[in-house]
Amino acid sequence: MTEGGALVLVIEDEPQMRKFLRASLTSHGYRMHEAGTVREGIQLATAYPPDLVLMDLGLPDGDGIELTKTLREWTSVPIIVISARGREDDKVAALDAGADDYLTKPFGVRELQARIRVALRHSALLASGSSEPEIVIDRLKIDLPRRQVFVDGREVHLTPIEYKLLVLMARNAGKVLTHRTILKEIWGPAQTHQSHYVRVHMAELRKKIEQDPARPRLLVTEPGVGYRLRDRVE
Amino acid sequence: MSSADPSPDAPGSVAQEPRATAGGYAWSIAMVVATTGFALVVRAWLALPDTEMLFLLTVMLAATLFGRGPSLLTAALSVAIYDYFFVPPFHTFAVADFRYILTFAMMFGIGIVLSTLTTRLRRQQLAAVRAAVRAETEELRSALLSSVSHDLRTPLAAITGAATTLRDDEGLPDATRAELLDTVCEEAERLERLLANLLDMTRLEAGGVTLQRDWVPLLEVVSGALMRVEPRLRADRVKVMIPEGLPLVSVDPILMEQLFVNLLENVAKYTPSESPVEIRAALVDGHIEVFVADRGPGIPPQDLERVFERFTRGSHAGVGGVGLGLPIARAIAVAHGGRLTALARPGGGTRFRLAIPPQGTPPEPTARAAQDDT
Repeated sequence: MTEGGALVLVIEDEPQMRKFLRASLTSHGYRMHEAGTVREGIQLATAYPPDLVLMDLGLPDGDGIELTKTLREWTSVPIIVISARGREDDKVAALDAGADDYLTKPFGVRELQARIRVALRHSALLASGSSEPEIVIDRLKIDLPRRQVFVDGREVHLTPIEYKLLVLMARNAGKVLTHRTILKEIWGPAQTHQSHYVRVHMAELRKKIEQDPARPRLLVTEPGVGYRLRDRVE
Repeated sequence: MSSADPSPDAPGSVAQEPRATAGGYAWSIAMVVATTGFALVVRAWLALPDTEMLFLLTVMLAATLFGRGPSLLTAALSVAIYDYFFVPPFHTFAVADFRYILTFAMMFGIGIVLSTLTTRLRRQQLAAVRAAVRAETEELRSALLSSVSHDLRTPLAAITGAATTLRDDEGLPDATRAELLDTVCEEAERLERLLANLLDMTRLEAGGVTLQRDWVPLLEVVSGALMRVEPRLRADRVKVMIPEGLPLVSVDPILMEQLFVNLLENVAKYTPSESPVEIRAALVDGHIEVFVADRGPGIPPQDLERVFERFTRGSHAGVGGVGLGLPIARAIAVAHGGRLTALARPGGGTRFRLAIPPQGTPPEPTARAAQDDT
């Protein structure tokens, strides 16, 4: 997929961060455009439509949440936001505004590469419109036509909600989903404030698919943001 | 009454300067009325010559208790009433004897002098209190700075050393290079944790934290914390015992996870790397009680409370940290209306006990999905 190098638009005002991102992205075969402000970002995104946008939430001439909304008016390009620790509300706002994922500063290159890989794969899947009949992640296998779930080859029985929840997470494997997104998808738009529904059913799901629910390896909590089903387990 | 207003930076919580409030004026009037009644009664029985002394006393009282405005009002009222009832010719405001004019002037004069003195005295007291608070803050700040700069410098020194070696020393064996690179990454992470703690502490101290409560399964919070400390506290050391039927808890999930991270980091730092750790929860009288218990060296009884003071560190060599982890954990517990205490554990080790009070009725854990299609 990265043949010819996917084009990443980096919108970040810190020169040192840009230096790190440039080194890391180009060494992994990506092409990169750099913008330091919201204005430059919009200009570059229109002039050279990127395959992925990596944006800092705190920019000198505006904030990334607004920029995400602006970009979402005309493009479905995957957007990964970069934000500081302790700003969980900002992350949730950016995700609900249409961002695909986030990275918390400081982050390492492995995390960065993993997020980019997942985001690009998702946009490719969406573009192709194909959906596989089977999802396999680590010890977990979901047979979509038969609505069956297997852990280590043994079938586990899920309630209808748990199944829906798992399929939603699996279709978005590797990506963080906010409480609000999950509620909207599973319970409908009227229930978006009942985030304990999600927590309770997530806990039940973990009991069935995790070896040790106290140390989930597949379904991980992103505190204050939502949940992520890992796309590969280290 | 702008004349009695405290200076703009007056902290609301400390001693208040006497402010001429509506209450002060009302009390002044009441006092004058009472004095008049008393003086009339006294005069009927005893024919006291110096009734003005009674009014003078009232003016002095008003001046010391309520400040300048009310004291002047008291003086004016006293003069008028004294003149009307007690100065011949009675029941008129006319003054026959020049001597009384002097008495009136004295009443006003004493009112002004006394209220000025009182105000000045209170202002000095207030300044002293503020100075003490400032000194305490200063002391805290310098303790923080010295503690922090030392703790920041240690990882920074390691990073600088490793990075410059990598840059300047050619021909390093690959294994050494890898080791130095690991040092850079680990120490950078340590710096990040240190800064995160500092940030948490200042946020909690400033009282600027509003809890974002939500109904959460306790296990979710605990498992989040376990995953975050995993590199420093191996999973197989920790046994988690949270009963199935435990109701949801109403907590701020991020802060509560931080509380457990800090407790577990503390365990990781001060206990042998193989010793077992237990996390146990129960519902006791509507409270959720959580115990984090280790088999480390334990805390001396006299220090069980002191470990929650800022910048307190155990006496073990080579243990990094600013001594903010446990104070932050306690601050989080308190912010939830709960308690966090350290206890000696029978058989050796330490047991941290967290009690979270009930917060309304937990919602029904089961909820139906829209268009449930089976």
